[in-house]
Amino acid sequence: MARVTFRNVWKKYGDFAAVKDLNIDCPDGTFLSILGPSGCGKSSTMRMVAGLEHISAGDILFDDKRINDLAPKDRDVAMVFENYALYPHKSVFENMANPLKLRGQDTGRIKDRVTQAAQLLEIGHLLERRPQELSGGQKQRVAIGRAIVREPKLFLFDEPIAHLDAKLRAHMRGEIKHMQRTLGTTMVYVTHDQLEAMSMADQIAVMHEGELQQLGSPREVYNKPVNAWVAGFVGEPAMNFLTCELSREADRLSLSHPNFSLALKPDQAGCLNGTTGTVRMGVRPDALAISMTRPAEPVITGEVFVTELLGGDMIVEVQLADARIRVKTAPEFAGSPGEACYLSVNRDKWHAFDTGTGRAYF
Amino acid sequence: MASRDVVQYETPLTRGFRWFSGVFIALYLVWTLLPILVMFVSSFKDLLEAFKIPAVGDWSGVGVFFDFTPTLKHYRDLFVNLDFSRYMANSLVAAGGSAVISVILGSMAAYSLSRIDFRGKSDLFFWIISTRMAPVVAVMVPLYAIFRSLDLVGTLPGLILAYTTFNLPFAIWILKGFFDNVPYAIEEAQMVDGATRFQAFVAILPLVAPGIGAFIVLCILFAWNDFLFAAIIGSGGAKTLPVATRELVQPQNIQWGSIMAAGVVTTLPMMLLGLVIRRYLVTGLTMGAVKE
Repeated sequence: MARVTFRNVWKKYGDFAAVKDLNIDCPDGTFLSILGPSGCGKSSTMRMVAGLEHISAGDILFDDKRINDLAPKDRDVAMVFENYALYPHKSVFENMANPLKLRGQDTGRIKDRVTQAAQLLEIGHLLERRPQELSGGQKQRVAIGRAIVREPKLFLFDEPIAHLDAKLRAHMRGEIKHMQRTLGTTMVYVTHDQLEAMSMADQIAVMHEGELQQLGSPREVYNKPVNAWVAGFVGEPAMNFLTCELSREADRLSLSHPNFSLALKPDQAGCLNGTTGTVRMGVRPDALAISMTRPAEPVITGEVFVTELLGGDMIVEVQLADARIRVKTAPEFAGSPGEACYLSVNRDKWHAFDTGTGRAYF
Repeated sequence: MASRDVVQYETPLTRGFRWFSGVFIALYLVWTLLPILVMFVSSFKDLLEAFKIPAVGDWSGVGVFFDFTPTLKHYRDLFVNLDFSRYMANSLVAAGGSAVISVILGSMAAYSLSRIDFRGKSDLFFWIISTRMAPVVAVMVPLYAIFRSLDLVGTLPGLILAYTTFNLPFAIWILKGFFDNVPYAIEEAQMVDGATRFQAFVAILPLVAPGIGAFIVLCILFAWNDFLFAAIIGSGGAKTLPVATRELVQPQNIQWGSIMAAGVVTTLPMMLLGLVIRRYLVTGLTMGAVKE
């Protein structure tokens, strides 16, 4: 178990910087998820931790020891690969025993550890099989088993469940999280799926184009995104963005749009002090309430474009003058396309971003 | 999964074509198998019987070919008087030795070329295979000069070295394709598991085993059947089967019986080798080409 620190870490491939000046401090026992779209540098980051890629600049520390120049085998990490990377010519037992064998453990202990890990992952009955005789989910368990047979300082999981079907993925999310809590080992988990990061991690590092955008708990990242990019990437359905004019009447600052004019709360107005012109308003589909009758409070008026029933929820797409926004509502909602509808905004949960830089005002 | 049967419909054209291909295959079989049959049968015949040939057009006389009393005297002659067991051992050591050395060096070189990027890599790779582009005859004279100054002419190590010179580029070329098809992640997993780079390389060798098997066969075939190297570099001390067979042809006396028997002795081991690893050879040669 170890604390992992990234100190001004860069990864360059020729002139292209895949990871730019990364600084993360991940305390011992933390489940850190590195989240971002493909090509954001998250895999490069993980491979630098594993020792599979050189670190172009900066340092990575385990506890207080700099590990930049150690070979993978001397870093004492265990990794689960996206495509599992099982050894096709070895049985499940031999696959899981490999790390122990390479470290010169005696046969009895290897057998104990492998059996124990297999039991934990419920693959005890598969030990004699070969990888090609296993289903995707089983392969993935074997790959995890190979990682947990020893007690490494650090687990590195590289999109381990990306190739499983949706149902199994949901199941494995819970299992991996439970396993990490039980073993208490520090975990770095790379994923492009914000749902995985949100549901499993203690800390999420959101990356985009090689840069760390935000580091925080899932709650912080969801509720207080630092910029429009993070706000748009995290959350499903995605946040709605509308370009609004700032208008000042007497002492009240409002966001104006062809479809609405809504006043900011005093503390929010404070955040926007000195700003003029346009801002990007962001509001999540679940911070909007839709109704077919005009409520008393100020609302956004629009018309229903399409409704999507998702079982327990319904997503309504609403057509505004220059954009469409999505609203999450109860499945009982009865509006039909073309009808006028009214959206009230939970103003504790809306955001304003700079139109140019995307930086969040609140 | 869809059916793998290819749907075919009969037309006069396909019928005609099928008939034509049947005839073609029959002719081809006769063309390729007849010499081997003649060699095999003649090796068991006395010299007089071996030269009994029916008149042209006398199809009923074909029986003459099979009308003989089998004798093993040519084989006895080969192994007792002509020392063929030593030549056979020479052939085995030269072919096997060069195959083993080429596989060891070739797999390491192929792995490096497959995995590591360095400046001039594609040029180096091309240069390696280009050494096979010149005909053997063209390089024979300089090679002979080099070998003679190193005192390697007429020795088995010299012959092994000569075969390795020609087999190694081939090994690198074939095996690189196989290594290219092994996912990086498998070695990376090995290294994270605690292996050194070399241990990781050894660990993935079973995954390229079909390639190694196919190469060993081709390499042994090349060395076993080679005449030119064996005659020039191996002459004297390291005489192999083809050279020894050639020496049975003397200006005043061609020992046909022994030549036929020597042909059988030379061909049979390779046929057996081929039969044993036939399946392996086919998967080996196609696996490199088809990605999963």
